[in-house]
Amino acid sequence: NPIVLDLAYNTIDFPSLENRM
Amino acid sequence: AVEDLFTTLNRHIQRSEYEQAVKVAEQVLSIVSNDEDAIRCKIVALIKADSIDEALSTIESSRRLPIDFSFFKAYCFYRQNKLNEALASLEGQEGSSAAMLLQSQILFRLGKLDASLDIYQKLQKSKIESLEINLIAGLLSAGRASE
Ligand SMILES: [K+]
Repeated sequence: NPIVLDLAYNTIDFPSLENRM
Repeated sequence: AVEDLFTTLNRHIQRSEYEQAVKVAEQVLSIVSNDEDAIRCKIVALIKADSIDEALSTIESSRRLPIDFSFFKAYCFYRQNKLNEALASLEGQEGSSAAMLLQSQILFRLGKLDASLDIYQKLQKSKIESLEINLIAGLLSAGRASE
């Protein structure tokens, strides 16, 4: 079977903490 | 202070030290129990650390909060190969390209190749990096290589 990349994983990101530090 | 913890948390995130990031997010939560940024950081760090069961239990224990974690939940179910639960968690999010990507990957695993491909074709306008790799994999699997 051809490889399917987990592109959904790349959309998972941390919130910006810029205003919390 | 919470600001110092967030500074430390941010440093761990920048260094991809996800297990330490989880610990510091938990320290924030021990002071401010419902802090949305800290909960989000904890869940994302658990996912990035491949602790999918723990990510799901964190989502589960945040159920009473007015924060929508259904995409994260769907992603965790997908990683556990609970594909119908994953699709159910995505209901109502059809508009976002992240949800569409995940939905397409789930449909591919379910063998619903044409439905999976339809979504990739809709996403082609969105300029998602490496999208064509999955599109081609889907076309090959569906016996539609000529396209
Ligand atoms: K919730």
